[in-house]
Formats: sequence, structure tokens, C-alpha cells
Amino acid sequence: MLEVEISGVKLKNPIIAASGTFGFGREFSRLIDLNLFGGISTKGITLKKRAGNPQPRLCEVYGGIINSVGLENPGVEAFIKEELPFLRRFDTKIIANINGFNKEEFIELAKILSPFVDMIEVNLSCPNVKEGGMIFGKDPNRVYEITREVKKVSSCPIIVKLTPNVTDITELAKAAEKAGADAISLINTISAMAIDIETRRPLIKMVTGGLSGPAIKPIAVRMVYECFQKVNIPIIGMGGIMNYKDAIEFFLAGATAIQIGTVNFVNPNAVSEIKEGIENYLKDHGFESVKDLVGNIII
Amino acid sequence: MKLLDVEIAENKMIANGIYLLSFESEYLANAFKPGNFVNILVEKDSIYPLLRRPFSISFVKENKVFIGYKVVGRGTQILSQKKKGDTINVLGPLGNSFLVDRFDGKVAVVGGGVGIFPLLSLCHELKKARNEVDVFLGFRSRSDLFFVEEFKEVSDNLFISTDDGSIGYKGNAVEVFKTKIEEENYKVAFSCGPKPMLSALKSLNLTFKCYISLEEKMACGIGACLCCSIKGKDGNMLHVCSDGPVFDIMEVEI
Repeated sequence: MLEVEISGVKLKNPIIAASGTFGFGREFSRLIDLNLFGGISTKGITLKKRAGNPQPRLCEVYGGIINSVGLENPGVEAFIKEELPFLRRFDTKIIANINGFNKEEFIELAKILSPFVDMIEVNLSCPNVKEGGMIFGKDPNRVYEITREVKKVSSCPIIVKLTPNVTDITELAKAAEKAGADAISLINTISAMAIDIETRRPLIKMVTGGLSGPAIKPIAVRMVYECFQKVNIPIIGMGGIMNYKDAIEFFLAGATAIQIGTVNFVNPNAVSEIKEGIENYLKDHGFESVKDLVGNIII
Repeated sequence: MKLLDVEIAENKMIANGIYLLSFESEYLANAFKPGNFVNILVEKDSIYPLLRRPFSISFVKENKVFIGYKVVGRGTQILSQKKKGDTINVLGPLGNSFLVDRFDGKVAVVGGGVGIFPLLSLCHELKKARNEVDVFLGFRSRSDLFFVEEFKEVSDNLFISTDDGSIGYKGNAVEVFKTKIEEENYKVAFSCGPKPMLSALKSLNLTFKCYISLEEKMACGIGACLCCSIKGKDGNMLHVCSDGPVFDIMEVEI
């Protein structure tokens, strides 16, 4: 009932832990059963270890949070050696989220990682780094170029993660599809800013950061809906999903699977609640599977 | 650590804007070590505040857990309005704890403002381990004082200071501590308080070990989000929630 497929990779359920909100699974495994997830998208991995951005990296705003972690991670070698064996113990698909600061780094990371993981999520959308990330992801030509090169060297399916910080996200979706992406995931966080009116300083050291949480959900649903009209590859939808009802909206808008992020911080049990909620919804509304919901909006 | 729905037993103002909240939890009371903290969801299905809030556990008594906090924003304001019988969701115990041992000599405990909260159970344990404990507590003013009687019970000497001099020494807790370092042969110091206070403590270049409890904005409290990262002395990133909140003062950049 809950199984979905993305380019030959079968997810036992459509719920994926979103990159950057779930570390490498180890921390949450002390609290919840990682087997509950259909997939886990890792913390963004770079070739070399990265320290990330200075403090403060986080602030809360109405309906969401702004973060500027800046891809702090131990680097690809440490990931393969120290984190991957742990993740492999669980019955869930492993999606490596990769980040390069130039095209060559994306290619190198895909070469190194694709034999070890189930899928690769090419992060062309991180708003919190000065090079690479969203800078590449805003330009359909760069999205096309990087996706095509990464696809050439990868032995596993490629998901391209798109940024919402553009005028027309469907241009990026089409570029990714044309370049051979197996799926797209959207949306990453929305560039945002908050100011402390007493100190007159920004609440994030890097001045701007990425907004996530319930505040961005309607925007994300709209973008999934728009992309669903324009591409034929599966869409993984995310952005402010807090419960099963939010998840259903994304399926109806055109998502084949969903990722949950910010909610993990608030309610670590969200995955099991959302899973149960989707199941009940399908039963109550006479659907046989999640697939029947995908894009099934009535206009 | 566990996710627990707990019923508030008491939630009362104990000083100017300072509250003490308690609830029953056999699990937390047994698992708790001085220095640990909890992540509290003050309101279910709330979008503002959205995140949990971290609070140190001040002390436990039988199966009751006591959390002290100051009202600083919307989250703590909502929490301060909770009544006996209301339910809150608590994730904990989280983080590491203070090193408690029998030290061969006097021990100093230095606290400022709400940083005083996690130090009460620490003092209790230090006394239980048969240490001689000098406690230095700094407050803004007389009306901000709390836990004075409680600290008297678990210390050998208690030094109170206030910024405005309305009670005790005029100045901060580190200044008072500094005057005692030469005459007392401290073996170890423990501290928690505002960053400028900890930074002043670090600049004393103590010849003995000093352990401090840090605070940083965090989302998950368990080491996954990496929002509470701080720099270690070798440039390595440390995480207040999972590597801390207690650190050797020389091992972190303050």
C-alpha cells in the first residue's frame, strides 16, 4: 500500500528523512526506529571536511526556523568509513546528499559514493554557502551541465534537489530532466532574514539563512504542482510537512515521495504518525496505494 | 533518553521573572546526572514557538524533576503560564554531565544569573563525594536572588554578589572568585553563566581544571541538526547538545 518506486529503487514507504535535519541517522536511532523510514537522505556531504558557518546559526520566526549551518560535515571519506556501515544496518534506502563547490567536485563525489548508496541527491540548492549550492542551482544551464556529468559517472539513480529561490522553478526541473536526472526533489529552504530590533543586528551571523517549517509549505506545494505539469520524472516533495495531512497535499500536488525535516526536531515520532496517517487516509478514501494519490488533485 | 509526556506538579515564580517548574518522572529522576538538560515542547501543534526549548535540570528530589528558567521570549512566557496538571512533552536527559569526584582539595563553583540552575545538583553531588565546596553566585540585584538557602545547605562557603551592590559584594561572581584564588588552594572549578562571565573566567588562566556548561541555540538537542556547533581549541567543531553542554574551559573558544 505504501510502497513507491523511484527509478527502480523501491522505497517501502514514501517517507524520507530530509538532508540536514537527520545527521547520519545515528543520533535519532537512540530515540526512534530508523527502519520506519522509506529512505534517509544524509547530511550534505562534501569532498573535504567542513566546519560550517559561525554562530548564531539558527533563529526562530513565525511558523518556521531560519538556519545557516553551512554544510558542516566530516567529508566523504569519513562518511564512508565511519557513518555508512552504521546506516547500512537498517532496512531503509540510503540517499547520499552531495555538495560540490565546482562541477569537478560533484563528479568526484558521485564517482566515489554511487557504488555505496541507493541513490544520490545532488544538492544544487544549499542557500548557506558562498560557492556552489544555490549559485549553481539558480541557473538552468548549470543544473543541466552538472546533472549530465554526474549522471555519466553514477552507477545509482540521481535525484537533483532544486532551490525555490528562483522566478520559475520549472525551468530548473526541466533542465534536470533533460540532463537525465532520475528524479527531482524540492524544495530546499527559502532565503530569509530576521532582525533583532533591540540590538538592530541580524539574528543569523551570516545575515541571511534558509527558512524551513510550516511557513513554507504552501509555496512548496505550489512548486511541486507546477513541476508535476512540466516533467515526467518522479518528484520528491518537501517543505514544512508537519503531519500526514501535509504529506497528502504533496502527493495530490504530484509528489511520489516526501521528505520530512524540521518536524523531526519538534516531534521525533513524526515519521510513524505520518506513516499511520497516510495508511488510514488511503483506506478511508478507497485508494489502494500512495501511487493512486500522486497528482490526483481535482481542479 | 526518552520522549515523555509529563504532568506539571508545580510552576511558580521564585524571583523576578524566574520560575521553578517540577514534574514527576521516575525515569528522568533516575537517569539524571548534574549538567544534563531536557528539550521541552511547551505547546503541542504550535507553530510559534515551533521548536522545543532546552532547559538544564536543576535538581531532582525523589521522583520529582525541577527545572528553573527565566522568561526571555515567547516559549518561556507560554511555559510560565502553565498550571499544575497541564501536560508538556519532555525529551531527555540530554547532553553530558559534570565530572563529580572526590577532589584532593577545595572545589569552587561559580554561577551567574540563570546559569546557577544546573549548579545546585552539582554542589549536592560534590558534597556527597565529601568535597569542601566554595560557591560564588552572581545576580543583577537583590530582587533577582534565588536558591540562596538551597546553596547554603550544599556549600561550605557561599559568596553572593550583585551587579548593583544591593546585597553581597558589588560586582560579579568571577571578580569575587578571583580574590579567593590565591588564598584558597582550589583543585577544580565548575561554572555556568552568561558568555561574558565565562570569558572573564577563561582569561584568569587558572592553573587548575575548570569545567563550564555552555548554552547555544539548538533545534534537535541530540546532535543531528548541527545548529549549536562551537569551535574547539584545535578548530574542530563541537556540539553543545551532544559533546556538551559541559566542556573543559581550555578546550573551547568562548
